[in-house]
Amino acid sequence: MKVQYFATLRDVTGKKEEDWQEPEATVGDLIRALVTRYGHAFERWVVKDGDLWDLVIVLVNGHDVRNLQRFGTKLAPGDTVVIFPPVGGG
Amino acid sequence: MNGWTGKILRVNLSTGKLSTEPLDPDSAKDYLGARGLGTKIMTDEVDPKVDPLSPKNKLIFAPGPLTGSYAPSAGRYTVVTKGALTGAIASSNSGGVWGPELKFAGYDALIIEGAAPKPVYLWIRNQKVEIRDASHIWGKTVPETSDAIRAETDDDAKIACIGPAGENRVLFAAIMNDLHRAAGRSGTGAVMGSKNLKAIAVVGSGAVTCADPKAFETAVMDAREKIQKHPVGGAGLRLYGTNVLTNILNEVGGYPTRNFQDGHFPTADKIGGETLAATLLQRPRGCFSCIISCGRVTKVTNKKYAGEGEGPEYETAWGFGGDCGVDNLDAVTKANYLCNEYGMDTISMAATIACAMELYERGFISRKDTGGVALEWGNAEAMVEATRLTGVGEGFGKKLALGSYRLAESYGHSELSMTVKKQEIPAYDARAIQGIGLNYATANCGAAHVRGYTISPEVLGVPMKVDKDTIEGKPALVILFQNLTAALDATGSCLFATFGIGADELAGMLSAVTGVAYTTDDFMKCGDRIYNLERQWNLAAGLTAKDDTLPIRLLNEPIKTGASKGMVSRLPEMLPTYYELRGWDGNGVPTPAKLGELSLTA
Repeated sequence: MKVQYFATLRDVTGKKEEDWQEPEATVGDLIRALVTRYGHAFERWVVKDGDLWDLVIVLVNGHDVRNLQRFGTKLAPGDTVVIFPPVGGG
Repeated sequence: MNGWTGKILRVNLSTGKLSTEPLDPDSAKDYLGARGLGTKIMTDEVDPKVDPLSPKNKLIFAPGPLTGSYAPSAGRYTVVTKGALTGAIASSNSGGVWGPELKFAGYDALIIEGAAPKPVYLWIRNQKVEIRDASHIWGKTVPETSDAIRAETDDDAKIACIGPAGENRVLFAAIMNDLHRAAGRSGTGAVMGSKNLKAIAVVGSGAVTCADPKAFETAVMDAREKIQKHPVGGAGLRLYGTNVLTNILNEVGGYPTRNFQDGHFPTADKIGGETLAATLLQRPRGCFSCIISCGRVTKVTNKKYAGEGEGPEYETAWGFGGDCGVDNLDAVTKANYLCNEYGMDTISMAATIACAMELYERGFISRKDTGGVALEWGNAEAMVEATRLTGVGEGFGKKLALGSYRLAESYGHSELSMTVKKQEIPAYDARAIQGIGLNYATANCGAAHVRGYTISPEVLGVPMKVDKDTIEGKPALVILFQNLTAALDATGSCLFATFGIGADELAGMLSAVTGVAYTTDDFMKCGDRIYNLERQWNLAAGLTAKDDTLPIRLLNEPIKTGASKGMVSRLPEMLPTYYELRGWDGNGVPTPAKLGELSLTA
């Protein structure tokens, strides 16, 4: 699946996007795997008290997981996941 | 009085009369200041049927009771008038440092009446006020004007002025202050130009007094901490500015592209906040008493579009960018600089060009009409040239100066103007985000995003996430945001303080500084009152429920690509509930019961 990073996450991961080869069943699985890969620098922008931080925008194929099942949202191999840390407003 | 100065300055440019009068304590209590006080003065003194560009219109500059205090981000003022672009009440909000200086000079409001027989500027040093000849400054750009007036008055003078656009009555001309800040929307600059008023220079040596300094200090430190702890208010906006929204809106499929022909722009990242931070950004900048520092000090070194200044903000990057099909950040930034120098609203300028590009695409405008400017989608050079022509008032720029509604109407296609009440819709697609569409249709100043910024809950998830695609609960949500914003605007606080604090904290700071006890309910009621007073003024000006609508494209043409493909605005389903919850009848007129609740008269 494709994972795309924005704002501070581009600095943290060093990338704008990557092809994530591991099969992840849910958004939570994916985020936990990314935390393992990128460490606390990534985690502090995305995870709060072990759950998805309310202010983070995670889109699966353009749909906000906060209006789906949050970390429980299911993922399929061809999906595009987009992650915005909470930096935006205007 | 505390918080308020207790004094209003009145300037009649027709007669040259200068006078001051006390601020009515009841008006202050019920309407707070800034947008609220300005609307009250318009209600009491200006016939809503007046021609906006006639001497009978008034131009009110009003800071709020918090402006110039050390409350966080409390540096704002509002320009209230009848909008040249819209014919509706205009209340254009600006930051920087000019508003606080007017408070330090001792005034809660400056009322400009009539029109000067020749170009003039106003020079205010505390109680000393002069109307001075500006014939030698007429025609100068905003930076040139600021330099010239400082040389004649004081190096420390804070300047609010118009550029050539306001002088030429470009219908979306802005009033600029501190060079890079704008009371941008609705054509306030054209009204100022119609009065032959070039600038207002202010030096103030007073201070904002405080009724309960201990309580105020506690409230302010609490508010500051909350803003600093918030990821958007405390870090995000300083890092990337508002333009970080480009990719966010694009990824949710609500980024209006090519005059709203679509909701997704494939190369948006090239003009987004991340790219801006990595290339043109020199440093962030904050307004008076602001710790958020969302402002962008930028520089373009590319010879073709060279310049420096501040911006672009998200709306500007969107307008000159995706709305025109352009993905060249240097060009977008140059267009922004031109708007600041000539004094024009970037949203309306850009969206008018986008409208012209569609008219051109469809063959209603030819290259002969444009004087050779090839208004093709994505043509960055043409976009910048169209902006410049409008600023200097030459060639096709004279037609663009009418704004998109009158431009499109002149070619027989007003349906291609993406406006509400003749004001251009900003950078969020109403088909992809239901609540913001309802806000556009019902904002009293015409289409505007900050009047009821439901993007926060619908897209960002601040203070909580709601589904952008549903309509349930949206009327109530829009009303809540509209009322809170009206009250917040009336204090002189910046909207971005709400990335951290809300009505509770604002009411607390307001009470401590003024000595008038506002509960949160009282505060929100002030907002509701201001909103209804604006509505009444508009109804008396001749606007009706028919004007609470959206362009047919947004109601009928689904978005073509991106995450919100297939969506349209469901405004007609939301509007009746909105009227009902507002306490208005089916024609959008406030009922006697509603007016009574707010102590307003019919």
